[in-house]
Amino acid sequence: MKFYIKKERLIKSVQDALKAVAVRTTIPILVGIKFDADDRGVTVTGSDSDITIQSFIPKEEDGEELVEIVEPGSIVLQARFFSEVIKKLPELIVEITVEDQFKTIVRSGNAEYIILGLDAEEYPRLPIIEDGDHFSIPNDLLKSIIKQTVFAVSTSETRPILTGVHWMIEDSQLTAVATDSHRLAMKQATLQSEERNGKSHSIVIPGKSLNELLKVLDESNEPIQMTITNNQILFRAKNLLFFSRLLEGKYPDTSKLIPTDSKTIVKLNAKEYLEAVDRASLLAREGKTNVIKFTTMDDDMIEISSYSPEIGKVVENVKSISTEGEEIKISFNAKYMIDALRAIDGTEISIYFTGTMRPFIIRTDYDDSILQLLLPVRTF
Amino acid sequence: MKDSLEQLEIIQPLVMKRLKQALIKKRVSHAYLFEGLKGTGKKDVAKFFAKSLFCEQVIDGYKPCNQCIQCQRIESGNHPDVHVIEPDGASIKKDQILYLQQEFSKKGMESNHKFYMIVDADKMTGKAANSLLKFLEEPNAQTTAVLITERVQKILPTIYSRCQHVPFSPLPKKKLEQQLIEKGIKKEKAPLFAKLTNNIDEALSISEDDWFLQAEKIVLKLYEILSKQKLEDSLIYLHTTWNPHFKTREQLEKGLDLLLFIYEDLMFVQIGYEKELTYPDSLQLWRQGALQISKDLLLKKISFILEAKRRLQSNVNGTLLMEQLLINLQEGFTFV
Repeated sequence: MKFYIKKERLIKSVQDALKAVAVRTTIPILVGIKFDADDRGVTVTGSDSDITIQSFIPKEEDGEELVEIVEPGSIVLQARFFSEVIKKLPELIVEITVEDQFKTIVRSGNAEYIILGLDAEEYPRLPIIEDGDHFSIPNDLLKSIIKQTVFAVSTSETRPILTGVHWMIEDSQLTAVATDSHRLAMKQATLQSEERNGKSHSIVIPGKSLNELLKVLDESNEPIQMTITNNQILFRAKNLLFFSRLLEGKYPDTSKLIPTDSKTIVKLNAKEYLEAVDRASLLAREGKTNVIKFTTMDDDMIEISSYSPEIGKVVENVKSISTEGEEIKISFNAKYMIDALRAIDGTEISIYFTGTMRPFIIRTDYDDSILQLLLPVRTF
Repeated sequence: MKDSLEQLEIIQPLVMKRLKQALIKKRVSHAYLFEGLKGTGKKDVAKFFAKSLFCEQVIDGYKPCNQCIQCQRIESGNHPDVHVIEPDGASIKKDQILYLQQEFSKKGMESNHKFYMIVDADKMTGKAANSLLKFLEEPNAQTTAVLITERVQKILPTIYSRCQHVPFSPLPKKKLEQQLIEKGIKKEKAPLFAKLTNNIDEALSISEDDWFLQAEKIVLKLYEILSKQKLEDSLIYLHTTWNPHFKTREQLEKGLDLLLFIYEDLMFVQIGYEKELTYPDSLQLWRQGALQISKDLLLKKISFILEAKRRLQSNVNGTLLMEQLLINLQEGFTFV
């Protein structure tokens, strides 16, 4: 294998791939980054077996030559070391040559490194993606789907399936649900499917992978292509591929959890309400439970209070835009409420209660694709 | 792989037959417990098993080809769906099992099949063993576990009962000795090496190890000092010669083994089994020693050494352990 490449592009691609490389790994080959040179360009791959990031450097871009392939081939090079090396190279062009026994020569100007590589055959195989069965989704929509759900995944490993976000795709309609069994976040979106074969998918993507994906996605507004295979899901941006393994098992049926009727509807100014909850949670946080109390009063007023025997008490009244239905007194976890309100991100929100001991939902009138559900806390 | 498939079939005919049948009939169980003495080829068999499950061109329904990329990656430990857990230091920690659990909550990286192997499964801490239990109990589809142990009695009964047991029979001692002598090991030394391991290659490498030869001399000398019944001398010897040589826990364990064999030999001489000796060249010395000690006392001393070996597995100070042992051996009654 031998090719010449623009240093700047190589650094960027290696940086991207490096995001997937774990510091500690049980599979020795994964400390490396894989380089594949073929007649289209150079592919740089990094993986920690959960996620895999592939960055592609085409031969030419906008009429500018980026890579010159002399001889195609593959090699795996120690990731951290190699990324340090290329950053410090003197010239703008880097020459990479692989000789016998995976001996790799990195040359730039007068500097020459000889790096011992690893056999690329040993590197994990990525699923082969067939063309056709994919969906596409605008970059910013994908980001908001992730942001509005992923915070609600469970962090405990007792039920591993809950550490992921459940994506259901039916007729190009995506429903993403995350829950840790105390709260639930749901978001719906429409995807563009190039081939409408009516296949429905039900997959669970690890929350960690989605958080990583958020970091990798850039600001551009190009649509992201999504392909689902048996074991992995692939997100494809321009010149960047992100693979994530899926979680094993069946996600619990969440559709029955969401109440359809409501006895009390409270409409609030999101910002005022969030601030009030935040203030009350200061005190609630000190007590171990982080519980605050929500009470409807006369004249559309809402009382938000928290009481901690050791520290003290906080009471704040918030004026609601409208209050309909029965009076209600309910307690819930302040942190979960703050998370939910931040995820909704609207100026006005409505809370639908069905009783003190029943879960309640938070939505906004402006965007019916998002729904947040919270379980109340029993207090005495 | 150290041993080829054919060799494994000679060493462990029953085990190989069983696994072969399971593979051919596609009735691979979800968890196996490989139990047997050191050097009986447990790890090699487990590797063979993994390869057979993943190999792309299995020969005759069970033989891995050893050529394809799957086989090669299992051999080098780079297969993403094959996980090997080995003790991290003295024990297998809970984190390691947690890693396995996380790994198994996800779908396979390449295939739907997953394989994990826990080496020295008896060294799992209580917490680790209990967290393992959970997913031994509820295996996902197409997961195969192999637990490997030398001390099956230390495996939690709850784990034991959830695995299929595959006992590895040790190579007959005399046969191994014979083979060692053929390989050029002195006749007087062969019994000792045969006793330390069941694997010919390992025995040969021990026989060339300077550290070990030195250790053997030190242990024999210690016995001589002990038999003179002077506690001070033996304690001084412990500090001047023994401690600098037996530095790590593994080394200390080997030293205790060697010491144990001496007392075993004394026992053999007393009951007239002089052919079984581990150190046949010290026969005269043992005859002398055997006359000076009663059978009860000898048994007691052996149990002291066994007790010391057991304690070595927990967090003890090596020097204190040895001091205590020497005092016990000297006096013949329990100290502390």
